[in-house]
Amino acid sequence: MLQRELSERGKELLRDFPVLATLREHDRSGIDGMIKMVEDAAEYNRLYSEPIALELDERMEAEPDFFEHEILEKACKYRFLSMAIPSALGGLADKYMVTAMALACEELCSCCAGIGLAIAAHSLGVSPLLTSGAMAHWETVLYEIVEEEKKGKPVVMAYAITEPSAGTDVEEPEFLKMADIGMEARKVDGGYLLNGRKCFISGGSEAKYITVCAATDRTRPMETWSTFLVDKDMEGFSCPRVELKMGQRACHAAELLFEDVFVPKSHILGYEGDGIANGMLIVLAASRGPVGAIATGIARGAYEHFLAWARTPCNGKRPIDEERIKMALVDMKAAVQQSRGMYLSHSMAGDAIFRGAFTSPLFKSMFLMPRAIRASKPMSGLFNSDYGKAMVNTIFRFFIKDEEITDLMALGSLAKFSCADHAMEVTSRALELMGADDSIERRWVEKCYRDAKLTQIYEGTNQLNRLAFYDTRIGKTLNIEVPGPFKRGV
Amino acid sequence: MARIPEIKEEERYRILRETARDYAARELAPGAEQFDLDPASPQLKEAITKAESLGMLSALVPEELGGGDLDAYAFCVALEEMGAESAGVAAALLVHNAAQLPLALSEHREGISKIASASTLACLAHPGELAVSGGEVNGRAPFAFNAAESSFVILFSSGGVPVTVVMVSGETDGLEVSTDLHQMGLRPARAGSLQFNGVEPMATIPQGDRLQRASERILHLGLAAIATGIAKKAFSKAYDYACDRYQAGSKIIKHQQMRVMLGEMLAGIEENRAMIARACASEDTAPAMVTWMKATRNGCKAAIDGVQIHGGYGYMRDYGMERLMRDAKYCQMYPTTDQEALLKLLELSESD
Repeated sequence: MLQRELSERGKELLRDFPVLATLREHDRSGIDGMIKMVEDAAEYNRLYSEPIALELDERMEAEPDFFEHEILEKACKYRFLSMAIPSALGGLADKYMVTAMALACEELCSCCAGIGLAIAAHSLGVSPLLTSGAMAHWETVLYEIVEEEKKGKPVVMAYAITEPSAGTDVEEPEFLKMADIGMEARKVDGGYLLNGRKCFISGGSEAKYITVCAATDRTRPMETWSTFLVDKDMEGFSCPRVELKMGQRACHAAELLFEDVFVPKSHILGYEGDGIANGMLIVLAASRGPVGAIATGIARGAYEHFLAWARTPCNGKRPIDEERIKMALVDMKAAVQQSRGMYLSHSMAGDAIFRGAFTSPLFKSMFLMPRAIRASKPMSGLFNSDYGKAMVNTIFRFFIKDEEITDLMALGSLAKFSCADHAMEVTSRALELMGADDSIERRWVEKCYRDAKLTQIYEGTNQLNRLAFYDTRIGKTLNIEVPGPFKRGV
Repeated sequence: MARIPEIKEEERYRILRETARDYAARELAPGAEQFDLDPASPQLKEAITKAESLGMLSALVPEELGGGDLDAYAFCVALEEMGAESAGVAAALLVHNAAQLPLALSEHREGISKIASASTLACLAHPGELAVSGGEVNGRAPFAFNAAESSFVILFSSGGVPVTVVMVSGETDGLEVSTDLHQMGLRPARAGSLQFNGVEPMATIPQGDRLQRASERILHLGLAAIATGIAKKAFSKAYDYACDRYQAGSKIIKHQQMRVMLGEMLAGIEENRAMIARACASEDTAPAMVTWMKATRNGCKAAIDGVQIHGGYGYMRDYGMERLMRDAKYCQMYPTTDQEALLKLLELSESD
C-alpha cells in the first residue's frame, strides 16, 4: 500500500499528540484515518467556518431563529454526519471512533464552537440508536443519513433529554428518582403517546429524527425510563421556539413540544424501562469526553487568536516581545495540552470498549447478508422483536462490560469539567491581557469566552460531572449495568 | 431572602444610594436588555438624560461651576447602584464624568459649560498613542467609550512630557470615528476608535499630569463600583433562583456547594466595598488601581458563578444573567490591563 505523505496539519497533530505517533508505528492505516478526519475538519474551517463565524454569531444575536443551512450542507462533503456511524453501516466510525470524534470536535470548535456543535450534536443524537442496539433503525435511519449525505443533503439527528424542570436530574440516576419529570410516554394500543416538553435541545430545530428520553410512568422514572425515536413529521411534534444564547449561537438550543405524539412500538429503542443505561448513562459516558474536546477546541482557538494578537505590533512594539506575554502564552498552551490529555484518556478507553462491539468480525458478519434482506420487513420485525433485541444485546454484553462503562463515565466526566474549566481560564486570561482594543483578534477571543461558558453547563453542569466522577471513581456508589437479554440494566 | 450586608454610611451617602437605586429601578432595569441589544435606542438616550436629576451628568464638577459636587465615594455609591441594573449606562456616565474631571479640576469654565450644553456624553480618549504638537493632535485611540456619538473628546497627550489635556470637538475635520468595534459588554457606552489627523484642539490645558492621574483614579474607582453592582445583582438573582429551583430532591439552595458559591459571592462584595471605601479616602493612584484590579476580578467571578447557578437558563438572554458576565469582563479590560497595572504599581512604589 502506498504510504500517504502527512500534511503540515497532520504533522502538527502528531507533535501535539505524541501518543498517536507511537500508535501510528503499529497501526498506520487506523491512525491515518483519524489524521484525515482532522485534516478535513481543518479544511472545512478554512473554507466554510472561518469566513462566516463572526458575522453569523452576530446575526444570530439579532435573529436567533435564523439557521445557516450551509453549515450542514458543507459538512456532508467531508461526511462529518457519518462520524458516529459504524463503518459496517457505511459510516466513518472505525477502530478509533471516539478518539476520531473527539479530535474532530476539537478541530471544528477551534474555529467556531457553534458550527462545531451543530455537527457534534447530530452525532450525539445518533448515539442512543447505537448503544441500544436498535438494528431495525440502523437500516432505515442511519442508512438514510449516510446515503443522503453522499448526495450533499444533510439528514440530522438530535438527542432530547433536558426538561424545563429537570436538567441535572436527568443526568444522574440517583437524582432521577426524585426528579420533577414533565414528559411522559403513556403506553397505548400499538405504541406510546408522548406528551411534554424538552428544552435546550442542541440542533433540535433542524433534526429530522430525535432520540427522546422519557418515562412511561413519570411517577416512577427510574423503573420506566425509556428511549424513543421520534420523526419530526409525527403528528403533535413541534419546535415552538429557540433560545437566544450568549454563545455557540450557530447551533440552535431548541424547545421541543410533544402533544399526543403517537410513537409506534417499533420506535422504542432497546426495551421499555432500560433507558437509564442505554439512553442515558452509556450515551453520556461516551459523549462527555468529546464535549471536553469541544471545550479544548475553544481554548485552543483563544490561544491561537491571542498569539496572533501578540505578534501584531501595537504602539510600535509587539506584545510577544514582552516576557510576561510569553509566559502567559505558555500557560495557555499548557492548559490546552492538559485538556487534550484528559479527553484523549477518555476517548482511547472508549475506543477500546466500542471497538469490540462495532468493529468486531461478529458485528460485521451481521452485515454480510444483502441489505435488501436486512432491511426487509420480516428482518426488521425480527430485530424489533424481543428475540432480535436479545440477540444484539448478547453481542453488546459480550464486548461492553459494566465496569468498563463505569470507568469510562469517570474519565468522561473528569475530561468534561476539567477541559471546560480550562477553556474558561484560557479565554478569560486572554481577554484580561489584551484589554479593550480595536483588534479583530479581541473580537474572536470574546466569542471564545462566550462560547466557553456553555461547556461548563451542558452535558451536565460541571458540578454534576464532579459528582459523577466521585460516584464512579471515589465513592463507588454508581455502577453502570449494561442491559442484557435478561436484564434491564441500571 | 438573603440580605447583602450594608456598610454603615453617612446620611448623605445613604440618601444618595436610595435615590440612585430608585432611579436605576425605574429608568434602567426595565430597558436594560434592550439597551444592550440596541445601544442606539432613543429610550437609552432618555434614561441617560434623566440621570441629570441625580446630578450624574456633572457629578464631579464643583457646585460653583454648576456641578453635582460629589466626592469620589458618593460617585461610587451612585455607580454601584446604577451598575447593578445597567452596568453599561453606569459606565457611559462614568466615562463622561472622568472626561470632565480635568476641566473641573483646572476650573475650565468654558469647557464645562460646552459639555453641559451638549446633548451627548463626553468621550475620554485614553489610553492611546496621541501626540500634541504645533497646535495639532495626531495619532489614534484604539478604544474609547462613548466615542460613537460624542460631541466632545477629552484626551491626554502621551509620550511627551509634560502631559497636555486637550479638548476636541466631536465634529472636527480630521477626526475619524470608527464604531465597528463589536463590543461584548458595556454596550450602552458605545465605543469607537478615534483617528486624529492634524486635529485642531478647542482647548488645551498644560501640565496635565495631575489631571490625568485624577481622571484615571476616578475611572478605576468607578469601574470597581460598577463591578460591585454587578456582583450584587448576580448574587441576588442567583440566590432567588436557588430558592426556587428544585433539583436532586431539594431546593438547590440546600446544596452545600451552591451555598459555598453564593457565600463566596457575598465575600467578594464585602471585600470590594471595603477596598472602595479605603481607596476613596486616599488621593493616591495606587489604592484605586489595586481596588480596580481586585474588585473587577470579584465582579467577574460573581457573574460567571451566577450564570453557573442558573444552569442552562443562565446562558440564555431571558434571564438577564449572561449580560452581567459580559459587562463584568469589560470592567476588567479597561482602562488598562491587570498586568500593566501591576507593573505600574511597582514603579510607583519605587519612585516614592
